[in-house]
Amino acid sequence: MAGIAELRKLRGSASKSVAPSERGDNKAALLFLGPWFVGLLLITVGPILASLFLSFTDYNLLQPPTWIGLENYERMIDDARLHQSLRVTFTYVFVSIPLQLALALALALFLDRGVRGLAFYRSVFYLPSLLGGSVAIALLWRQVFGTQGLVNQFLEVFGVEGKGWVSHPDTALGTLVILNVWTFGAPMVIFLAGLRQIPEMYYEAAQIDGAGKVRQFMAITLPLLTPIVFFNLVLQVIHAFQSFTQAFVVSGGSGGPVDSTLFYTLYLYQKGFGALDMGYASAMAWLLLAIVAGLTAINFVVSKYWVFYDD
Amino acid sequence: MSLPTSPRRLARPGVRLAAVTVAAALALAACAGSDDPGSTPSATEAADEEVTIRFSWWGSDSRHALTQQVIDAFEAQHPNITVEPDFTTWDGYWDKLSTSIAGGDAPDVITQEERYLRDYGTRGVLLDLAEVEDTLDLSGIDPSVAESGSFDGATYGVATGVNAYVVLADPQAFADAGVEMPDDTTWTWDDYVEIATKISQASGGTVYGTQDFGFNEPGFSIYARQHGQSLYKEDGTLGYKDSLMADWWKISLALQESGGQPEASRSVEIDGAGPEGSLLGTNTGAMGVWWTNQLGAISKASGRQLEILRFPGESEGKRTGMYFKPAMYYSVAKTSEHPEAAALFIDFLVNSTEAGQLLLSDRGLPANLDVRKAVQPSFADADKQAAEFLEGLSADVVDGVAVPPVGAGEVVPLIKRVNGEVLFGQITPEEAAAKFTAEVTTATQK
Amino acid sequence: MTDTATSLPTRAAGEPTRTRPPLAPRRPSARARLRVVLKHALLIAFGLIMIYPLLWMLASSLKPSALIFRDPSLLPSEIDMSNYTVGWNALAHPFSHYLLNSAVLVLGALLGNLVSCSMAAYAFARLNFKGRKIWFAIMLMSIMLPIHVVIVPQYILFSQLGWVNTFLPLIVPKLLATDAFFVFLMVQFFRGLPRELDEAARIDGAGHVRIFLQVMLPLSVPALATTAIFTFIWTWNDFFHQLIFLTKPDMYTVPIALRSFIDSSSESSWGPMFAMSIVSLIPLFLIFLLGQKYLVKGIATTGIK
Repeated sequence: MAGIAELRKLRGSASKSVAPSERGDNKAALLFLGPWFVGLLLITVGPILASLFLSFTDYNLLQPPTWIGLENYERMIDDARLHQSLRVTFTYVFVSIPLQLALALALALFLDRGVRGLAFYRSVFYLPSLLGGSVAIALLWRQVFGTQGLVNQFLEVFGVEGKGWVSHPDTALGTLVILNVWTFGAPMVIFLAGLRQIPEMYYEAAQIDGAGKVRQFMAITLPLLTPIVFFNLVLQVIHAFQSFTQAFVVSGGSGGPVDSTLFYTLYLYQKGFGALDMGYASAMAWLLLAIVAGLTAINFVVSKYWVFYDD
Repeated sequence: MSLPTSPRRLARPGVRLAAVTVAAALALAACAGSDDPGSTPSATEAADEEVTIRFSWWGSDSRHALTQQVIDAFEAQHPNITVEPDFTTWDGYWDKLSTSIAGGDAPDVITQEERYLRDYGTRGVLLDLAEVEDTLDLSGIDPSVAESGSFDGATYGVATGVNAYVVLADPQAFADAGVEMPDDTTWTWDDYVEIATKISQASGGTVYGTQDFGFNEPGFSIYARQHGQSLYKEDGTLGYKDSLMADWWKISLALQESGGQPEASRSVEIDGAGPEGSLLGTNTGAMGVWWTNQLGAISKASGRQLEILRFPGESEGKRTGMYFKPAMYYSVAKTSEHPEAAALFIDFLVNSTEAGQLLLSDRGLPANLDVRKAVQPSFADADKQAAEFLEGLSADVVDGVAVPPVGAGEVVPLIKRVNGEVLFGQITPEEAAAKFTAEVTTATQK
Repeated sequence: MTDTATSLPTRAAGEPTRTRPPLAPRRPSARARLRVVLKHALLIAFGLIMIYPLLWMLASSLKPSALIFRDPSLLPSEIDMSNYTVGWNALAHPFSHYLLNSAVLVLGALLGNLVSCSMAAYAFARLNFKGRKIWFAIMLMSIMLPIHVVIVPQYILFSQLGWVNTFLPLIVPKLLATDAFFVFLMVQFFRGLPRELDEAARIDGAGHVRIFLQVMLPLSVPALATTAIFTFIWTWNDFFHQLIFLTKPDMYTVPIALRSFIDSSSESSWGPMFAMSIVSLIPLFLIFLLGQKYLVKGIATTGIK
C-alpha cells in the first residue's frame, strides 16, 4: 500500500523510529501472560486434545470411546452431505465477509465524521447485532422473506411476483448472507474504535506539511486502520466458518430446505448431538481447524504487504 | 466397558500422555457410578432416608409450571425425598442430556422419546424397570402402549400418555368451499386428494385444501401399515418396499400439482412455522396431519372449532394403519443412586390421580386408564375431543408400532430433506424412496 | 477480498474525514445545507431498515399470541399488555431472577476479560519473549474449533472439579483470558500505538507494569470499551454454555428463560417470549448507549499531546 511509505515519510521528522527492545522480556512476559497461560493449560488445551483424541474413536457420548484409527477421516471422503456443507460454508464465507466488512467500514467512516445525532445513528445501526441468535429472528426472517413477507409486498408494487425466499433452495442461503451483512454492528464498532485511536499528532504534522484531506486519508487514516481491518478480516473468517446459530434458528436446525443452508458446523452438530456420533463430529472439527488455520496463516503472510504496524 | 485400544504411535510422549489422560477421564466419567453394586436396590433404602433425585424433562413454560406443582405434591407425600427439576426445551434437551451422561451426571429420572429410547436403552444408560417392579406398578397402563417401552427383554420406559397421528379439519373452511366433510371411516386416499383439490379451487387460492404431510415419518408409518407393511420391524430393520414409499410421495406430488396443497417453497415455509403458523392455525387451509395433543394449540391459534378425522385409507387397504403413540416415556438412569426413590416418583407421576389432575393431558392423554377416566371431566375442550376420538379409535387399532431402532433420531432431518427434494422436483418419488432407505439403513445399522 | 475492504472508503475521501472543531466557524451555504439534509435522509432511511426488527418485536409483544402469525403489521389492531405481566411471572421465578443471574455472570465476565485479556495482549504486543509467535498461533487456534466438540470434554473437566451448576465454568475461563478474540483485538490496538510513547516512559525509568497501566491502558479506552460492550452482549446472549453448565432452575439465566417460552414439541407462548425479549434487550441497549460514548471521546488524542 502506497500510503504506508508516505506515512513513514510524514512521521520521519516527528519521531525517531525505535526498534523493539533487543533484550528479552521473559520475566515480564510470565507476569503478563500468567493468567492466560494458566487458562491455556487448565481449560483450553485439555478439551482441545480430547477432541483430537476423540476424532480417532467411535464415541456416542453414552459409552466410553473406542479407538478406530483413521476411520472417521476416511468416512469423510465419501460423505456427500459433508461436501455439500463445505460448499455452502465456503460460498457463505466468501460472499458475506467482503460485503459485511465493506459496509461496516463505509458506515464507520461515515459516522466518524461530523453528523448531528451521531450517537443515535450508531445505536440504531447496532440494533440488529444486539438481537444475535434470538429465536425471534427466525420468525422475523420468515415474515420478511416469506411468501407473504415484506420483501414480496415491496416487489408487488413493481409488479414482480415474489416467492418464499427463505424456503426455496436457490435463495435460502442468500437470505442468510443478508442476515449476516445486516448484523455488521460488531465490525463497525471495532472500526470506529480504531478510528478513534489514531493519534491527532499525525494529522497535525500532515497539516503542517500542507497535506490535503485526500492525502491525509490515504496517508494516515487508511494505513493506521489496517491493523483493525486485518483483525476484522481474520476474526470474521474464523467466525464465519463456524456460523451456526443463524442457520440453526432460521432453518429450525435442519439446514434446509434440501440442505441449502447446511453450514459445516450445523452438520457437525447434527452428527455429534443428533446422531450421537461425536467421534465423527470431532474429526470434522479438526478438518475445519485445518482449513481455517490454513486460511488464517495465508492471511498473516499476506498481511505483511498491506498492514501497517507502528513497531 | 471397552477402553480405547492402544493409541498406536503418537508423535511425542507428551501428546501420548495427554491422550491417555483424556481417554481415562472420559472412560472414568462414562462409567462413574455404574460399578456400584446398587443393582439390587430394594430394601437398601430406609423409608425415611433423606434422598435427592433429579428429574429432567423438556417442554415450554406451561409444562414447567405444571410439573413443579406435581413435584410439590409428591414431596408433600414423601417429605424425605427432594426432587430437583431440570428442564429445558426440546432442542436443548438432548444436547444437555447426552453431555451430562458423558460427564457421568445422568439425571435420576429421565424423560425419553420413542426415537431415542433404544439409543439410550441399548447403550446401558437406562435401568430395566423390572428391577424396581415392587415400587413401580405398571399394571394400570393402557394395554396399547404398555409394551411400547420394552425391547431386548427389558423394560426401559413407562409411557406417560398416548397420542395419535390424525387429520385435523376445519369444518368452516369446508363449508365456505361448499365441500362436504368426508366420512372418515371410509374415505380413501383418492378422496383425500379430490377433496383437498376442490377446496383450493373453490376458494380461488386463499384457502388450501391441505398441508403437505411428507415432512414427518409417522404419516408414512400409517400408510405402510395400511398396506400390511411397516416403517420399522420389531428387530429394528426396515419393513416396507421402496415402491410403496414412492406411492406415498406420489400422493403428495398429485396434491401439489392439482393445487390441493401449496407449492413447494410455501410448504417448506409452513412446515417450519409450527402449529401456530400452520395453514389451519392461520385459517388458510382446511386440513392437515397432526398429533392429537397439538389440537389445543392449533384450535387456539385458529380461533375455530376443529374436527379430528381418521387417516384416509383406513378401510381401503389390507388393514387399518393408525396406532397409539406413547407421547413420552419416563425412565430411570442406571447410574442413579436412588432407583427406588426414582421409581416411587414415576409411580406417582403415572398412577396417582392427584398427579393426573394436575398434568391432565400435558404429556399425552394419561397412560393409566383409571387415571384417564378420573381426570377426563377436567380436560380442556380440545382434550376432551381428543379423548373421545381415541376411545372411538381403540376398537380399530390393530397393534402398536415397533420401538424405532438405534439412530432413528436421524430420520427426522432426513425425511424433511428428502421430502423437500421431492416437492422441488429435484428427484423422483422412486429415487427418493431408494435414497431414504439407503440413508436410514446407514444411520440405524450402527 | 482486501481490495473491496480497503478501496471502498476512498469514495468518501473527498470529504472531510474527521470531526474536528473548525478553526473558524463558517456559515453553511445552501448547498452544504442541502447536503446535510440529504445525508440525514439517507441515514434515516438506512436506520429504518435497521430498527425494523425492534419495532416488529415491540409490536409482536403487544399482540395476543394468536395474532402474531396472522397479522404481521407493525401497528397492532388491538393492544394487549398482558404478555408482559404473563411473561414476567410465567416461569418458576419472576423474570427479575433471571435478569439478576445474567447480571452476575456478565459482571464476572467483564472483569475477567478486561483485566486478563489486556494483560495478555500487552505481552503479545510489546514484550519480546521466547516463542511469542508460536504462543500467539496456539492462542488463535484455540478459537478455531467449533464449540460443539469441545463442550463435552469441558463438561467432564468442570464436572470433575464439581463446578457444574455454578457460575464458575462460565466466569473462570474469562478470568484466565481464554477468549482469544479479545486478546487479539487488544493486541491490534496496542500495536497501533506509537512505540516512542513507551520508549519515552522507559527512559523516564518506568517498568512494564507502569507502562502498561499508565501509558497503554489510558490510551486504549476505545479498545477497552469495545471489549466491555462485546463481552456484555455476548455473555448476555450466550445460550449454549449456559444451557449445558447450569442445571438447576434457580441458576437459569435470561437466554435459557427466554427459550423456555418456545418449545417445538408443545404449545408455545410467543407473546410472552417477545415481551420478555424486549425486557432483556433494555440492559443491552443501555450498555451500548453508555459504552459507545467511550468509542468517540477521543481520549487517545488528548492523551498524546
